[in-house]
Amino acid sequence: MRRSIRYSSSPLLASRTPVWRSKFIVAAIALGFAGLATRAAHIQIFGNDFFQRQGEVRFVRTLELPASRGRILDRNGLILASSIPAQSIWAIPEDVVVSKAQLAELARLLDMPASVVEERLSNDDRTFVWLKRQVDESVAKQIAELDIKGLYQRKEYKRQYPDGEATAHVVGFANVENQGQEGMELTFNKELNGRAGSRRVIKDRQGRVIEDLREQVPPVEGKDLQLSIDSRVQFFAYQKLRDTVISFKAKAGSVVVLDAVTGEVLALANYPSYVPDKRVNLNGEQLRNRALTDTFEPGSTMKPITVAMALEAGRVTPQTTIETAPGRFTMGGFTISDTHNYGTLTVEGVIQKSSNVGALKIAQKMSPNEMWDTYTALGYGQKPQIQFPGAVTGRVRPWKTWRPIEQATMAYGYGLSASLFQMAHSYTAFAHDGRIIPLTMLKSTEPAVGVRVFSPENSHAIRRMLQMAAAPGGTGQLAQTVGYSVGGKSGTAHKQVGKGYASNKYRSWFTGIAPIDSPRIVVAVMIDEPSNGQYFGGIVAAPVFSETVQQTLRMMGLPPDVAVKPQIVTSPVEESF
Amino acid sequence: MTRVNLLLLVAVLLTALYVVHTQYESRRIFVELENASAQGRKLETDNRTLQAEKRSQATPLRVDKLAKGKLQMLPATAAITQYVSVGKP
Repeated sequence: MRRSIRYSSSPLLASRTPVWRSKFIVAAIALGFAGLATRAAHIQIFGNDFFQRQGEVRFVRTLELPASRGRILDRNGLILASSIPAQSIWAIPEDVVVSKAQLAELARLLDMPASVVEERLSNDDRTFVWLKRQVDESVAKQIAELDIKGLYQRKEYKRQYPDGEATAHVVGFANVENQGQEGMELTFNKELNGRAGSRRVIKDRQGRVIEDLREQVPPVEGKDLQLSIDSRVQFFAYQKLRDTVISFKAKAGSVVVLDAVTGEVLALANYPSYVPDKRVNLNGEQLRNRALTDTFEPGSTMKPITVAMALEAGRVTPQTTIETAPGRFTMGGFTISDTHNYGTLTVEGVIQKSSNVGALKIAQKMSPNEMWDTYTALGYGQKPQIQFPGAVTGRVRPWKTWRPIEQATMAYGYGLSASLFQMAHSYTAFAHDGRIIPLTMLKSTEPAVGVRVFSPENSHAIRRMLQMAAAPGGTGQLAQTVGYSVGGKSGTAHKQVGKGYASNKYRSWFTGIAPIDSPRIVVAVMIDEPSNGQYFGGIVAAPVFSETVQQTLRMMGLPPDVAVKPQIVTSPVEESF
Repeated sequence: MTRVNLLLLVAVLLTALYVVHTQYESRRIFVELENASAQGRKLETDNRTLQAEKRSQATPLRVDKLAKGKLQMLPATAAITQYVSVGKP
C-alpha cells in the first residue's frame, strides 16, 4: 500500500505529502459543517421562539380597533348625544417651519390668539404639543391645506349634543377622552364606551397592512342608550321654565315630568343650564342639577300627604270638619297662622284653602311614628333609586326626636327637606292609585309595579282635593289647562338663610297630577327666588305646570277629558257652537 | 437518473414560482379587502355624522323658532284640535 500521494509529475513538486494531512483537512471541514449544522439546529429548533419574536418585532404591528361610544337616544329614538369624527391638531415644535402669514391663518382657523399658537409651537423642550383637540373636519381640512411642516392631525371622536342646554342636565357630557363626566354620560359610561379590540398584522416598508395574522380581538361597540326622556316634552318644559325664571327675575328653576303609569322620567330640566358642546367658563350654578341636588322644605306640598295618612288611618273622612278659626294656633310658644281666617273647614277645604292650622290639627290625630312611616314609604329621607349621579337624600329626622311643635310643622311641610324630584315621586302614590312606583331614566313600556301606601279610594279622594285646590276657589287656579282636568298643590316658602328664614327670599313651586280620573303624568315645578313682587307658587309656578301638562298630554295623544269650548273656525257661516 | 433530477428541478422551480405568485395574489386581494373595509368604516362614520347633522337641523329649538318666526304658527291646544274617534260615526 502506498503511503503517499503524488500530485504532479513535476519533479519539483514531487515531495511526498503525508496522508494524515488530507485527512485532517477533511475532518476540519466536516467539523466546520457540523458546527454550522448545530447552529442551524439551534436557531431553527431550540432558539426558535427568540428569533421568531425578534422577527415579529421588526414587521408585525398590533393595531388597536377602537370601539365607538354608543349614542344616547330619547324615547322616540331621536339622538341626544352622538360621537362624530373630529381631528386633533398636534405638532413637534422642533420640526415646525411656519411663516407669519401661515401662523396668522392657523390661529384664525383654530380660533385661538396668534400669540398662544406661537408660544406652543416655539416650546422646543417638548417633542409633542396639542394645539387644539377635536376640531371640526372642515376646519381640519383647511389646516391641512396650509401644509405646515411639523404639524400633524390625529383622528378622534367628539361628542355632539344636538339638543344643547335643554337636555344638558339629563344627558350630561363626556370629556375629550370620551369619559362621561356628568349625567347619563357618567352613570352609563362603561356601557356606552364599549371595549377596544386589537388585531395583529404585518406591515410593509411603507406602513401598509399586507397580511393579517388572524389574531384578532374584535372590539365591543358601545351600546346605544335609550332614555325615558321625550325630547319634545323636555324642550317645551325647559323653554317655559326659562321664560318664567326670566320674567319673574328669579334665580333658578326646575321642572320634573313623570309618567304616572310606567314610572319613566319624561323630562327633567333646570335653569340656568349650559351648552354641553361648549364647556367654557362653566360655574356650579349652571352645572347643578337642582331638581335632584337641591333640597328644601316642601311646605304646602306635604298637606295632601298629611291628609292622606289621616284618611288611611281612619282618623278623618273628606267631609270631617276642622275648626281653623281664628286662623292662628299657638303651641309651645310658637304661633302658626293662616293667611286668612277660614273658620270651619272640611278636610277637603283644608287642602283647597291650604290651611296650616287645619293641617296641623289633622296631624295631631296621628302619632309621630305613623307619620314617619308614611314619609319614609313615600321616599322622603331616602336616597332616590334613580340612575343619576349626585341625587340627594333630603332629611326626615327619626320620629323619636320629634317635639310636638315639630310634628305640627311637618304637617304643612316644615322641619323636613326633600328635593323636587322626591316631591314629584311621592305624588306618584296619588296618581298610581295609592302605590308609589319606582322611577327610571331608561325607556320602559311595562306599567310599573308599585308599593301600596294608600288605598285606591283614599288616593282618589286626595286627587279630588287636589283638583279642588287647582280649581276656582283654590290656591292654584292658574294650573288649569284647556281640555284636561288637573289637580295639584302650590307651595311657597321663605328660604332658609343660615339658621333662620329670610323674610324677602322665597321659593315657589307647584306639584300636580293630570288627568284626574286616570292620571298619566305627575309634574313638579320649582322657581327659586322670584323677585319681581310675585312669589306665590300658585302665581309663579302654576302657569309653567299648566302649559307643561297641556303640551305633554297632547303630545302623548290623550283626548281631552273635560269639555272644551272649541275655537276651531271651519267656515264663518257654519259655526256650530 | 439525471433525467429524473432535471424533472424534479423543473417541478421545484415551477412550484416555487407558483408559491410566489399565490403569495402576491393573496396580498393584493388582502389589500383590496383592507381598503374596502376601511371605506366601509368611513361610510359608517359618515352615516353617523350625517344623522347627527340631520338631527341638529331638526332640534325642537330650531323647529320652534322657525315655526313661530317664519311660519307664524302657534302651539296647538285642545281648543283648536278636532278630535275624532276610530269606529264612531
